[in-house]
Amino acid sequence: MSALTWTLVLISQLALVAGQIYLKRAMTRREQADSRGWITLLVIGITTMTVWFLLWLGAMARVDLSQLMPMEGLSPLLIVVGAMIFLRERLDWRGWTGVALTCVGVVLVSMS
Amino acid sequence: MHDAAPKTPLPKPARGLFWNPYLQILLTVVLTAAAQILLKIGADGSTGDASVGAWLGINELADGWTWLGILAFVSSFGSWLYALRFLPLGLAFSLTNGVHILVPLGSWLFLREHLGPLRIAGISIIIVGILLLAQSVAHAEEKV
Repeated sequence: MSALTWTLVLISQLALVAGQIYLKRAMTRREQADSRGWITLLVIGITTMTVWFLLWLGAMARVDLSQLMPMEGLSPLLIVVGAMIFLRERLDWRGWTGVALTCVGVVLVSMS
Repeated sequence: MHDAAPKTPLPKPARGLFWNPYLQILLTVVLTAAAQILLKIGADGSTGDASVGAWLGINELADGWTWLGILAFVSSFGSWLYALRFLPLGLAFSLTNGVHILVPLGSWLFLREHLGPLRIAGISIIIVGILLLAQSVAHAEEKV
């Protein structure tokens, strides 16, 4: 992978994390008594996810899926850390072990 | 779960199996797996040049498989948004790792692709991880 491809894959992963956080915030706001602004949050989330989608599609066209999968394997970890920082979510030891195991598993699946 | 500012507790889903958020996560996973395979078929069929369109994956939009993949993605998005109403983001997203079980198993079943020992080990580890995550979700719900 060239430096440019790496950068684009990195930006796409960051867009994925940001987009998911906005989607979760939109759906949380929607449940509240004062649900104003949830559509705006949803639109920001969908726009950010579109950036992720197009960059990922572009990367898939020029990089083997087996090379992209380790990055894909990292995404749950990035999401969990992002949700900790921006949504104040907490994981217990089962959750952390589960995230770590799935990351290892995804890399193993992509190696074969 | 949310130790600071839990303004609203996670709501309870409607009755009925279809509205179960875990079934919706499973639906998300199945549709995403289908979408990934369709998008890869579409991307393989497109010509790769060095234009801006190529970097953004615009060229792939000319392929019919890509549009089927996008349709599957949009549907998976609906079930994902529904599940997000009821589950914490970190756990819900980690559960979607089930995609990496379904894609190799589906390739083995339908495309007769070889399933090596490393891949079987990886799938097993993901299954254990997802079971732990599911337990973690159940534990978090008890505390709410």
